[in-house]
Amino acid sequence: MSVYITSTGAFLPGPPISTGEVEGILGMVNGQPSSLRVQIQQANKIQTRHYAIDAQQQTTHSNTEMASEAAEQCLDRAFLDRQSVGMLAVASTQGDLPAPGMASMVQANLGLPAIEILTTHGICSSSMMALKAAYNSLLVGDHDAAVVVSSELSSRLLKKQRYEAATESTFAAKRIDFNTEFLRWMLSDGAGALLLQSTPAPKGYSLRIDWVRGFSHAHALPTCMSVGSAGHPGDERTWQDYDSYADAERAGALLLRQEVRLLDNIIRMGVDGYLRLVQEGVSEPAKIDHFLCHYSSHHFRSKILEMLDAAGVGIPEDRWWTNLYTRGNTGAASLFIMLDEFLRTDEVTIKEGDCILCFVPESGRFNTTYMQLTVVKQ
Amino acid sequence: MTDGEILVEGAQETVDEMVETDVPVMNPHAQVCLQHLLRVWLGFERDLSTVPLLRRLDLGTYTVEDHLCLLRNLRQQVIEGSRWITRTASSFDRNYAEIRSTVIAHAVDEHRDYELLEKDYVASGGQLEDILGMERNVGSEALHGFLMYRASRNNPVDLLGAMWIIEGLGEKMARSWAERIHELTGLGEDSTRFMTYHGHNDGDHMQRFYRTLDDVCVDETTTSSIVKTAQVVARLYRLQLEELNHDVE
Repeated sequence: MSVYITSTGAFLPGPPISTGEVEGILGMVNGQPSSLRVQIQQANKIQTRHYAIDAQQQTTHSNTEMASEAAEQCLDRAFLDRQSVGMLAVASTQGDLPAPGMASMVQANLGLPAIEILTTHGICSSSMMALKAAYNSLLVGDHDAAVVVSSELSSRLLKKQRYEAATESTFAAKRIDFNTEFLRWMLSDGAGALLLQSTPAPKGYSLRIDWVRGFSHAHALPTCMSVGSAGHPGDERTWQDYDSYADAERAGALLLRQEVRLLDNIIRMGVDGYLRLVQEGVSEPAKIDHFLCHYSSHHFRSKILEMLDAAGVGIPEDRWWTNLYTRGNTGAASLFIMLDEFLRTDEVTIKEGDCILCFVPESGRFNTTYMQLTVVKQ
Repeated sequence: MTDGEILVEGAQETVDEMVETDVPVMNPHAQVCLQHLLRVWLGFERDLSTVPLLRRLDLGTYTVEDHLCLLRNLRQQVIEGSRWITRTASSFDRNYAEIRSTVIAHAVDEHRDYELLEKDYVASGGQLEDILGMERNVGSEALHGFLMYRASRNNPVDLLGAMWIIEGLGEKMARSWAERIHELTGLGEDSTRFMTYHGHNDGDHMQRFYRTLDDVCVDETTTSSIVKTAQVVARLYRLQLEELNHDVE
């Protein structure tokens, strides 16, 4: 019994936004240009990205709509009657409604009748969690087809009004608050969808899922990327512990934060998980033809890559592929958007039997997830 | 050692950091050994985050008192460190002359490092007699005991695993502890000279380490003994940091 990705879809809202245009969309906080924007943008090297808000910071597409658009495209491309879809798994950092789960809303939009649903909650790796659950559902024979969607609308968290309202936050108190601004110039919006089936597509390439594995290190490491706390050392309160949501917002407890100092742990734990899979014999570095990574190689300092080379398990740079620079960092949606374009791009030649290693690290509290795919043809 | 930081400082540094260097071609046993050593290191580094005093560095609640306590407890380890390294050198016979030279050079580099620690302690506001009067804590006893035992055996190549962990930690102190300590405590650079000196010093050892590993790690038995010793040292080093003795007599 095998499970195959037989169709993909993606949705990126609005036009591509160049690096210089970003602040015009997200807005200048209190009318002042950011002093960190250029530095952070230069470091992440993203050239264009998309936003589901306009230059007045009004939402143009809901998260549910973007997820549905990607799923519609995926289903339109499939050799399958959509009535045969038995399961819908949806991943996002934050759906439009805190409750119910986002899968309910996406199911309603897609009009898929009486299916099994799953909403996974997390950050970047929530897409892999959803994918693994759907993959397992097919493996045990509960369903023959499942749609997995991941969608992110982070610009609503990053627009100027959020920061202007946080009048008593670390952001308001400091001249430069790197941890609070970091993700503002990193993340953008988009959605991707995959169709999983128990048989390959009758035409074209399908991707057989060889395995999906994840290792979370929250037992040892502190929270690194989060929404819900004001970011003061020793302050244990989270957003719902304030008397009012307005109090929480003023304190900055609703701002998206990254503990930049802790970020290198995600690279280390990513390398550790990869070495673990190699040692278990699950992954064979020499057989990897394509490496799709949620981070680009330039995020890894040369030293750790050099050590992997010295240890005989490095993945040559020409096997890395990403569309991060043109589609933006769309969090959980990134891998699905990447797979969708990877199967269509002229930049890479894909052939039957090719082995694809996918890696999605999540800095939230350090969850690293991996998947191996093999290109097959019916 | 495992410098996997995300680059946030700007594009220029990216270019500087990505300069091509020669990656040594090691024998397959040495390669497997390095894979295991990397995992032992990464696990050690992660688990250090659970040590209460070091967690306060991550959470931003580390104080000057914490720093004095850390320095007091590190000193004994550093003093004993020079002893096991010199003992190791004397345990290698002439068939291991190359590695013996490496170990001797290493011992010369570091055998008086504890004096730096004493100066740092005083610069951080501590009393010299307090750090001089410290005994080995429970973890230092265990770590020292194990290292002296292994160092006393003939041709103790497994101690490469110990050097891997201890040198890696030296570099980590320089890379990620020193600046954070200044930021949180307001102490100056003279409070962390041991950490920063140690790091700069250890950074040059990597190529030499690869060569030594390639020379001595030529079968499975050696691989497992090096990895096992790295695991024991990692665990006992963490024990030493968990068992910090806070009392000043």
